Amino acid sequence: MNHFSNLSSPELKPRQRWLPSLIWLVPLICALIGVALVVKSVAEKGPVVTVTFNNAEGMEAGKTKVKYKDVEIGSVQGITLSEDLRHVIVRVQLNNDAAKFATQGTRFWVVRPRVGANGISGLGTLLSGAYIGVDIGRSTEGQKAFIGLENPPIVTTGQPGHQYTLRGESLGSVDIGAPIFYHRIQVGQVVGYSLDPHGAGVIVNVFVNAPFDQYVGTNTRWWHASGVDLRLDSNGLKLNTQSLATVVVGGLAFQSPAGQGAGQGAADKAVFRLASDESDAMREPDGQALNVVMRFNQSLRGLSVGAPVDLRGIALGQVTDIGIEYNEKQKSFGMKVSMALYPDRLSRRSNEALPAPDTPGGHELLQHLVIEGLRGQLRTGNLLTGQLYVALDMFPKAPRASVDVHGNPIELPTVPNTLDELQVQVADIARKLNQVPFDRIGANLNGALENANRLFGHMDTEVVPQARDTLAAAQKTFSTAESTLRQTAPMQSDIQDAMQELTRTLQSLNTLADYLERHPQALLFGKQGDKP
Amino acid sequence: MEYHRLIVCHECDLLFRKPSSVEKRRASCSRCGASLTALRGARLPLDWFCAVTLAAFITFCIAQSFPVIELCANGMTSEATLFGAVRALWSGNMRVVAAMVFCSSILFPLIELLCLLYLLVPICTGKRPPWFNVMPRVVQLVRPWGMVEVLMLGVLVTIVKMVSMAEVIPGPGLFALGALTVMLGVVALFDPSGLWAVRDEIRSS
Amino acid sequence: MASVRSSRVRPRDRSLTRPLRASKPASTAALTARRAGLIGCHVCGLVQTRIERQADPRCARCLHVLHERRPDSLTRTVSLLAAAALAYIPANLLPIMHASSLGGAEDDTILGGVAYFWTSGDWPLAVVVFIASVLVPMLKLVALTLLTATVRRGSAWRRRERAGLYRLVERIGRWSMLDVFVVGLTVTLVHFGSFAVVTAGPATLAFAAVVILTMLASHQFDPRLIWDSAHAGERLARRVNEEGRGAPLTTKKRIS
Repeated sequence: MNHFSNLSSPELKPRQRWLPSLIWLVPLICALIGVALVVKSVAEKGPVVTVTFNNAEGMEAGKTKVKYKDVEIGSVQGITLSEDLRHVIVRVQLNNDAAKFATQGTRFWVVRPRVGANGISGLGTLLSGAYIGVDIGRSTEGQKAFIGLENPPIVTTGQPGHQYTLRGESLGSVDIGAPIFYHRIQVGQVVGYSLDPHGAGVIVNVFVNAPFDQYVGTNTRWWHASGVDLRLDSNGLKLNTQSLATVVVGGLAFQSPAGQGAGQGAADKAVFRLASDESDAMREPDGQALNVVMRFNQSLRGLSVGAPVDLRGIALGQVTDIGIEYNEKQKSFGMKVSMALYPDRLSRRSNEALPAPDTPGGHELLQHLVIEGLRGQLRTGNLLTGQLYVALDMFPKAPRASVDVHGNPIELPTVPNTLDELQVQVADIARKLNQVPFDRIGANLNGALENANRLFGHMDTEVVPQARDTLAAAQKTFSTAESTLRQTAPMQSDIQDAMQELTRTLQSLNTLADYLERHPQALLFGKQGDKP
Repeated sequence: MEYHRLIVCHECDLLFRKPSSVEKRRASCSRCGASLTALRGARLPLDWFCAVTLAAFITFCIAQSFPVIELCANGMTSEATLFGAVRALWSGNMRVVAAMVFCSSILFPLIELLCLLYLLVPICTGKRPPWFNVMPRVVQLVRPWGMVEVLMLGVLVTIVKMVSMAEVIPGPGLFALGALTVMLGVVALFDPSGLWAVRDEIRSS
Repeated sequence: MASVRSSRVRPRDRSLTRPLRASKPASTAALTARRAGLIGCHVCGLVQTRIERQADPRCARCLHVLHERRPDSLTRTVSLLAAAALAYIPANLLPIMHASSLGGAEDDTILGGVAYFWTSGDWPLAVVVFIASVLVPMLKLVALTLLTATVRRGSAWRRRERAGLYRLVERIGRWSMLDVFVVGLTVTLVHFGSFAVVTAGPATLAFAAVVILTMLASHQFDPRLIWDSAHAGERLARRVNEEGRGAPLTTKKRIS
């Protein structure tokens, strides 16, 4: 209607000037809104980082999110192949407030459903789609290109606890993520492992969560708690496990020896020795080994290298070698057993300090003991398996022997096994019994018995009637004697009276004698009358 | 010979004489009832159209760049811009449909707006742009095929469908699309054939 | 110049139905541009004389090609309609969306979707989708078929109503694209990896084809053909089919 301004009245003109400017507000407002939206979305964008993975499974450009502690901090913008076609480069757009994630040490990994040593993780991503997990690095230096991890890290930065390094002989069945137990409670995980640079063992890195790391000190012993610990030896059958998890995936355990505290708290990355089982971990260090050799004249079947050597029940060492010797002079074979003994084990157990084996005191002690009858003997440890062990014991009745204390290895005298001796004795007895003429004795006995039989037959027919007659006569005699004795009954009573009188007389004489004894003057002075 | 005082009904070919003034009234053919669009240019001032066209263009850009709807279900989010929808259809082996959606919702409205701007802005400032003859034809061709209001209804229907299965968050693109629909409705009232008279005026002046 | 009627300028009156009696007197005296030997440029609206036997008549003002009537209007409209009708069958029978989720995959046809909305209580949605996807294309096909049939027969039945029908078809034609947009947006949005994925089915293509073909058909149909047979019988109607060449000098002469 304003187009015909030239026709309508001039009063409309002033209004005309305002209205066009008003209408131009509309595009202006639109432009402002557009600019505001653009500025807002640009300001929300943070840095762009690239992460290299092995493959892009589960990731989608424009959709996959990046989450830290389940909070979205960015998303994947594009996925391309690397130039050498071996990796996948994922371009990630971080939010503005997540700019501090673009620092050195930040780790990226893809959270997918995984089955690992710790169990199954990431199942939620089956529904929601995989996402990229982040662990922020501690450094302050910026970094834009990262190499993504293929597996989630076991320990994220900022998790409280300590890392320790263990040196052991073999890895056993331990894997990354294997649990670490303290008093059978899981307190940490294995974080990594590697071969010792010299190839002499393995190095295992472990992480113990706070607050359990306070129990790890300089005295702490570590051992493999993996699987099933089954031992069948001269000590018997022993079965030991930590938990079902360790039976499957293996694990490590630590503890301080009984009676000792943990000691000073261990520093981060402190090094410990990793033993193969609990008893191995807990045993005290052995000190110097004493090499000893014993020669036996019997079969060594059942004795194996590593069999214990004990002194009256205390483990002293183990067998290190079993050999055979040919004795030229006697033209016989002797069995030579080498062993390593640790006298320190004795001194630990005894209250008084024993002299060290190297000292003259030690030599003297050893000689004295041997003279007193210290011998080595093979004994059966386990009747079931026939395992043997070497026992040192005192045998006072053993044949005399001496020991050369300066030799290396020291040779100790031995006595044969009592069981063997018993076997020999029994064989002897059996031989002797063999020599006894049992058949002749038996024949003689047979004859005697026949004679006796005839004798009894005689007795029956002849002797017995005669004896009957004799007995009848004797009976008659007895009855006569009895009647005679009864007649003289009054004589009996007279004699009785006489005896009584005699007894009374004797009694009074006794009294007199007593009185006289007390008052010998009565003979002279007569009896003193009773004092009134 | 040219008859400037005559107009022809484009639906029944009936000849008419132009009325002297059409103020506040609309002209329609007495035989077939079609509205005579050539007289419609007198309805709103030209700079209004220019401003609205400009606003529509800016709104169009906003509606294309920002997501229209965001869907949240089970912790997963997915968002859609118009161009993203076209791309999804294209990669989903529905190339023809993708092309059609692209043309009818993005390309043709864009062409319409650009051509109108190309025509209106110089004319509002009093200049005559080159290729003046081609532009209204292009606008006329493209106009029936720009279906932004159908798109708007489609988005609303989709939202109603999705509300039952997930959480729907409207994005800035949705509001821009709504505003664009309104503005395009206003722009569609404008018939570029009325510009010729203006052009003649400019030429003569 | 023969008498030219003034266009009826009236206040906003949107009624399309007029008593037939009122229109009749107008038709007998009506002068079309064609009969007057004039053409109105459909781009710039300039009314100018038609120059016969010109290979490429161009508008004096805007230099666009002048057409008296749309070339081959009826033939094109009919062929496009036939193609659209053919495409309409798979559009309704084939599934328009594949939805696959953890629970399984399912296919949805347009009618199935409408039924689903209806039964789940979303009545407005069901009505909207039904109107846009089923009713509108059907209406367009029927209306255009009716228009072309009546024009070919040259009937004078209810011209104004038919003109109104044509305008209606033109205006609502675009709204059947609704389904295509809905499918496109759903496919983009429901893209949750393995959880739920939606892809467009083959009916989408057929449906889009129906929409485009019917829109093209209604573009190609020249509404002036409805009124051309107002003056002559079948002779003129037949001549409508051979478009604009050798324009009837005779008619011009007859009138003037």
